[in-house]
Amino acid sequence: MNKRLVVSVVFVVLVIVVAISFSSYQANLLEMHDKTKYLERIAAKTASPLVNLENGSPPLGSESAPVTIVEFGDYQCEACYHWFHNTRSTLIDNYIETGKAKLIFVDLPFLGRDSPIAAQASYCAEDQGKYWEYHTILYTFQDGPPDSGWADRDRLNSFAFSLDMNIDEFNECMDSSKYKKRVKANYDEAVKNGANSTPTFIIISQDGAIEKFAGAQPYPVFASMIESML
Amino acid sequence: MFVPLSIISEFLFVEPFIIFHVIEDRVTSFVLIVFISLMSAIVIPMNIYRIRTLQKSTTKIGGSIAGSIIGASAGICSCGPIGFSIISTFGTVAGAATAFLTNYEIPLRLASLLLLCLVYYTTVKSISIECKIQ
Repeated sequence: MNKRLVVSVVFVVLVIVVAISFSSYQANLLEMHDKTKYLERIAAKTASPLVNLENGSPPLGSESAPVTIVEFGDYQCEACYHWFHNTRSTLIDNYIETGKAKLIFVDLPFLGRDSPIAAQASYCAEDQGKYWEYHTILYTFQDGPPDSGWADRDRLNSFAFSLDMNIDEFNECMDSSKYKKRVKANYDEAVKNGANSTPTFIIISQDGAIEKFAGAQPYPVFASMIESML
Repeated sequence: MFVPLSIISEFLFVEPFIIFHVIEDRVTSFVLIVFISLMSAIVIPMNIYRIRTLQKSTTKIGGSIAGSIIGASAGICSCGPIGFSIISTFGTVAGAATAFLTNYEIPLRLASLLLLCLVYYTTVKSISIECKIQ
């Protein structure tokens, strides 16, 4: 009887402790949610997005497009590869080429040591006006797990060669780690904006409203989000 | 088990709204998830019944749990939040481990399915024998 009483009391105390912890966790979540909404309202009033895109890719599409799609990605990410090949082209056809949206890629290179190097290579390609071509070639030739060698320095050079880029300029850019800080800044910006997986998307309307979601989601999700912002 | 496995393997998304999406390249993975979830749902309760009702040893439930865990962890995308947390915490070694789980997803899931089938067979046999009237 005493043993049962002790066990019952311990159980009740545990339930109370868990309930209190859960309540304060919920309260913190609500506070953060309110804070996020507060920041979004501020962003909407100032019409400037919270995401700092100055270190990201050049925009794909018209700079004056009302909706901005920000993709946080890693060139060695398999899910990003699937999104690139299954959803991106339809999005480009229906929203980017029609001037309704623009796409900006921000690096979140965390999967391996070749990830930031590949990201730097994309900006070295940008110096020669071939950012998006290089971006495409990286996702076209993604092959194997991270750091398996498909994105090592030799392969990155061969991609540049296949795009008729000036290899000497490309090598100089890579050897000097010219864009190392830019890639790091993008990584920090991604983490600051709550990206904890790739691909993560933030869709920003012209008045600063923001929608964030993650994963290689199908085209209807993007269409729905973009239409609601137009 | 099917729902969390689908979320982890990025077939089921909950934000911005709930959507289920299986791309052609990953149909095999999805089918394996369905079978693993089914087998886990059968085998684990059977072993719990064995332990509670027949008061038998807990060794066989270890097999069913191991099979479920292997099936669940194989295919965890290293790009996903779990992979991100692991890699951010433990670095490139963890990246290699998560990459292994992703790249050997199909063999690992087949192995877990085999293990679950084996546990099912031995559990059924065990229950049949143990329930005979002495």
